[in-house]
Amino acid sequence: MDVTGIVCEAAQAVLGLALAPGVVGLIRRVKARLQNRRGAPVWQPYAELRKLFGKDMVVSPNASWVFRAAPFVVFGSTLVVYLLVPAFITPLPLNAAADLFALVYLLLLGTFALALGGLDPGSAFGGMGSSREMTIAALSEPAIALAMLSLALGAGSTNLGEIAARTIANPLAALSAGHVFAFAALFIVMLAETGRLPVDNPATHLELTMIHEAMTLEYSGPCLALIEWASWLKLTVFFTLAANLFLPWGLATSLTPAGLAIAAVTTVAKLGVLAVAVAVIETRIAKLRLFRVPELLAVSFVLGLLAVTSSFSVR
Amino acid sequence: MDDVFAQVSVLGASGVLIFAIVVLWRHGVMAYISAFRWQSNVLAALTAAVAYFGHDRDLYWVAALMVVVKGVAIPRLLTRLARRVATSREAEPFVNTATSLVLAGLLILLAHAAARPLLEMSSAPTRAAIPLAIGLLFVSLFVIVSRKKAITQVIGFLMLENAIALLAVLATYGVPLVVELGVFLDAMMGFLVMQIFVYDIHDTFDTVDVDALNRLKH
Amino acid sequence: MHLFLIASLVGPWALGAALAAVVRPYRRWVGWITVGVGAGSAAAAAGLWVLALGGTPAEAGPSHLFRVDALSALVALCVTLVSAMSMALGPGLAADDGNDPRTSRTFRAYGSLFALAMLLAVTLNDVALMWVAIEATTITSALLVPLHRTRASVEASWKYVLIGSVGIALAFAGTVLAYFAFVTVTAARSHTLDWPLLTSVAPALNPGLMRLAFVFLLVGYGTKAGLAPMHTWLPDAHSEAPAPLSAMMSGVLLAVAQYAILRWKLVVDASLGGAAFTDRVLLALGLLSILIGALSLVRQQSYKRLLAYSSIEHSGFICVGLTFGPAGVFASLLHMLNHALAKSTGFLLSGRILARYGTTDVAGVRGLIRTMPVTGTLFAASMLALMGLPPFGLFVSEFLLFRAGFLTGHVWATSAALVLAGIGFVALAAHVLPMIYGAAPAGVARGERGRLTLVPLVVSVVALIVLGLMVPRAIGALLERIAGGMAA
Repeated sequence: MDVTGIVCEAAQAVLGLALAPGVVGLIRRVKARLQNRRGAPVWQPYAELRKLFGKDMVVSPNASWVFRAAPFVVFGSTLVVYLLVPAFITPLPLNAAADLFALVYLLLLGTFALALGGLDPGSAFGGMGSSREMTIAALSEPAIALAMLSLALGAGSTNLGEIAARTIANPLAALSAGHVFAFAALFIVMLAETGRLPVDNPATHLELTMIHEAMTLEYSGPCLALIEWASWLKLTVFFTLAANLFLPWGLATSLTPAGLAIAAVTTVAKLGVLAVAVAVIETRIAKLRLFRVPELLAVSFVLGLLAVTSSFSVR
Repeated sequence: MDDVFAQVSVLGASGVLIFAIVVLWRHGVMAYISAFRWQSNVLAALTAAVAYFGHDRDLYWVAALMVVVKGVAIPRLLTRLARRVATSREAEPFVNTATSLVLAGLLILLAHAAARPLLEMSSAPTRAAIPLAIGLLFVSLFVIVSRKKAITQVIGFLMLENAIALLAVLATYGVPLVVELGVFLDAMMGFLVMQIFVYDIHDTFDTVDVDALNRLKH
Repeated sequence: MHLFLIASLVGPWALGAALAAVVRPYRRWVGWITVGVGAGSAAAAAGLWVLALGGTPAEAGPSHLFRVDALSALVALCVTLVSAMSMALGPGLAADDGNDPRTSRTFRAYGSLFALAMLLAVTLNDVALMWVAIEATTITSALLVPLHRTRASVEASWKYVLIGSVGIALAFAGTVLAYFAFVTVTAARSHTLDWPLLTSVAPALNPGLMRLAFVFLLVGYGTKAGLAPMHTWLPDAHSEAPAPLSAMMSGVLLAVAQYAILRWKLVVDASLGGAAFTDRVLLALGLLSILIGALSLVRQQSYKRLLAYSSIEHSGFICVGLTFGPAGVFASLLHMLNHALAKSTGFLLSGRILARYGTTDVAGVRGLIRTMPVTGTLFAASMLALMGLPPFGLFVSEFLLFRAGFLTGHVWATSAALVLAGIGFVALAAHVLPMIYGAAPAGVARGERGRLTLVPLVVSVVALIVLGLMVPRAIGALLERIAGGMAA
């Protein structure tokens, strides 16, 4: 990878880290408006991060190195994933490593690390949150694998750049049933993996209802900041995947200023649309009781299955 | 044009199939009626699309009839029936939700295998969607067999009829108009008879749980 | 002439139904008119029979909407005879019936519609319109099953309407698949898909597709014919329905479904170039039905359910016979005719027994020969007929069936059917003989009531005996025409 490549990837990383809190802020703002509240301003998450970085950490005496390492693993793995996702340009300099399954497992590495971090201090809430989180992760595995498989079947390769290029070249394929089903399956899995309603309420701290919040309950200060930032970045990753794998028009295929400007604008616009969509869904649908979550994930599994069979039969 | 036709037909058929899966997922009778209404409307839209792309004017009438009968009239009657006889939630079905959904997925795979001779035979642009119609047929049969409330079984049967109508539209651009009219008439009458019987069951047994219909054994 | 015969076969039933619906409150002369309708319709069927013997099928209607060939004429005759009998013994004719006017009116109206639908099914030329008519039979008969509203009859009617409708829907799927095969070959969307056209195009139709279509059609129409494993509705529906309706359902509705199966079998065989596939599938389901029917007869407590399971067994025999080549088809159709007569007589008599004894339990009925001598004798006769004993017609047709089976090399299947027939025989005898003899329970009146209504039943039993002693030339010729020309 040459200098331009390094610069591009670094720029993408910086942009991603900068956008992620904004996306979450937008979701929260739209939700508040829909609920007839004024709501915090869109840049509230940035302020939260600044606050947390300035605070001291309180660490439980029962915690081990796992507890201390987890936030860095989570942050690191999510950042690496973002570096592989075609956010503004395609193909990326790191495209050779941008394999769909590698992506999925990197994200899973983050989830795993966070779950361990929640278990480590031995608190009741942490253990409970970790076990719930791992159940959901395990159940959404088949669904996400099938959705990825259907995309790969359609493009003939699991490489993200390839998939995006194939869809750009063949616009009609975006309407195909395989794509639509894969999008639906991915959307449901995204809601599950990033802890959004109807699977998990990101704003709750009630024992009955929290999953992600339970795992991060013991964290404070900069570590908490890292974890929160990582989870927002994970949401942005999913949004970017949803937007740029299924509707990749606007991505810059060459490094021209005009192309990059268009790419920046379209990507931000797509992220905005998806954020509003998630906010609307979160407002309209009630949180599912925990034992109903497997049913929802089974639906996404069937959608994934339909996606694979549709992609397969159209070939 | 053919490509667009193919994509539209597969998309439409998938939409129709999705609502059957929704019936397996949701738990309330009103949700089932809603899903059926949406399914019939999507099917009617697909029929109209096939009429447009396939240059068959008769199908426009069929689509209109479908909207009127299955999109409006039958859901209305079902809603009235449900308000009178059903509690709002389906009792725990014979097969639990997650298993039903996985089984439905497997049934759809089976349908793709079973529909292979049809795919090879047909040269119509709509042929890619035919396995989905057969899948809907299997899933509707599964809904009928695995549900406990009589009214849900009726909805499963109505979906079975939708499946066969979908198959007819996709495979042969519909059957002759005379036959379509006969089929609609039969469907309407069959539904009315079933409705009468659900009222009967409710009046005689004070429940519409078909588990209670167990006096006649062997 | 053709038009007149077909119109007088089908039309009067429509008029009868309309009359029954319109005349409120119910009057007895409406009932008598439906009986007359039945008799007239039977005469028209006989006329069509004579025409069919001549070789040319009777056709009528725009673009040959109606077509009555030898096979249609046979089934039409069965339908009209049984329907006429049921109308003669149904509620609403005698003053001391015990039935309220509403029940009588419902029976006359829907019963006529039921007969009309069955006749349309066998006379309509278009395969899809035949389907529409058969679906109509499900609807009209289902409305009559809970005529006397009890928990059991409501349950039975629900199972019937649900399973029947699902089966019929699957049959329609099969029809659509066959239509699909037809359209891909002829590349022209004709407005009717009638039997002669379908048969002529059959060899060009895709075999794989026709195989799939046949599976759907067999499962669908097999549900209506009472073939296992789709038979679960039959014992309940036929036992809970009022006796005249059970007679029509067990006697001839099963025959109409078997008619549909046979028609489609011929088409699919022509397209597959041989009967191997259809024979295998039909044989499997037929043997399963005989097995379940015969074994279930052993532990029955209700005599109506006995008759119902016997119907499943005999339906199995008929379907198995269809796989034994032309001789087998001859035997099956003769069996269809005999069974229609015997079963309907049996059910109608069971109605009389129920009215007298007040129970459907076999254990509750004793000493029939003493309390109702004529009914008891006739009941014994029809039961002996159903057991397959000489001198009744079913013995002859079963003998011919087994003979055809051995002659075409289906040794194992025929032997199995023989053994099961024997089991069924013993079971029926064990249940029925105590009913005839023994001391009558206290409180059961003696003597026959409504002797006039026994006349058609006596005629029916006599016909069974005649058919058992010889196969009259008129019938034999017709059956040969069907078997030889395969419903040309």
